[in-house]
Amino acid sequence: MALETGRSGRGDANVAALLTWVIPGAGHVYLGAPLFGIAAFLVITGLYLVGIRLTDGMAFEFLQTDLRSPIAPILTPEVGNLSAVIWHMRTYGFGQPFPRSWPAHIDLGTFLTACSGLLNACLACKAHFDARVPVGMRSKKPSPGLLVLLGWIVPGLGHWIQGRRLRGAIVFVVVAGFVVLGTLLAEGANLDRERHFYYWSGQFLAGAPAWILEVIHGHAFVRADIRYVDAGLAFGGVAGLLNILAWLDLFGVAEREGLEHLEPEAPPVREVAA
Amino acid sequence: MNDLLLHLVLFVVIGAGIVALAAFYSEPDDAKALRVLPRRFGVFALGCAILAVLLIVAEHTVASVH
Repeated sequence: MALETGRSGRGDANVAALLTWVIPGAGHVYLGAPLFGIAAFLVITGLYLVGIRLTDGMAFEFLQTDLRSPIAPILTPEVGNLSAVIWHMRTYGFGQPFPRSWPAHIDLGTFLTACSGLLNACLACKAHFDARVPVGMRSKKPSPGLLVLLGWIVPGLGHWIQGRRLRGAIVFVVVAGFVVLGTLLAEGANLDRERHFYYWSGQFLAGAPAWILEVIHGHAFVRADIRYVDAGLAFGGVAGLLNILAWLDLFGVAEREGLEHLEPEAPPVREVAA
Repeated sequence: MNDLLLHLVLFVVIGAGIVALAAFYSEPDDAKALRVLPRRFGVFALGCAILAVLLIVAEHTVASVH
């Protein structure tokens, strides 16, 4: 059953997505699902706060002095959780005007704040879709937000689940292949957020292939000139950006198919008993 | 010379990836997306070649310090 049944959606899809971007879970509160919205807020904001705790709020201090500005975090994954980034910048900014040593778990901390931003972007996808599902109906297809989340963690997995297996395999080969090739060319220097702040941000979008290589590499010191480091950085960054293209394709098809395959929601238990 | 060759190979690899995912994004049918890949790659390579020529000309004229 599709939207053409005459039933209206639960709210404005763009408003729901925008509210989620600004405050995690706010979109679902707007759509009349306050418990889900509050739970999502606690998880996503909690992740950011744990990241802040592990980094002492120093994540943006990785940026070189000449790149620092109030809008510098716009090109980071954290921007997916807008209110957290604004609070982070207002509370910690770029740190103190004297050098300090990095906290022991700063890499894990920045990973968590970045995850918070991307998870919130996936939640915004879900809010957009949920707003378009008519009241009293639900989709038989997986949520577009979930598919985008899976496509982020394992490039191409969302397409695979949708049944578009050739496309999913090609996305995986291109995205994961570029990350591996980039890492070989840059000798692992591309995997360090402290060294290459913005390239790391792009590469983070390539999902598990980049994260696994980062764990294996372990942020080793660079002890000599790396001849093809620029090429390696380009491959790593492009891999993440191409994965965004794959998510857009995934989301568009998932939302269309989800709205074409609707079924009535299960009635409340009391009604069934009566 | 080997360095130039390596850069050309890297260009072909990254270009092929960009063109492939762009084709899949704009074309919902997988078979059709694969069919149009060679032509799309040709357009991409030609565009990059024109840009490279323009950059070299600019480097040797307006940006030259000689």
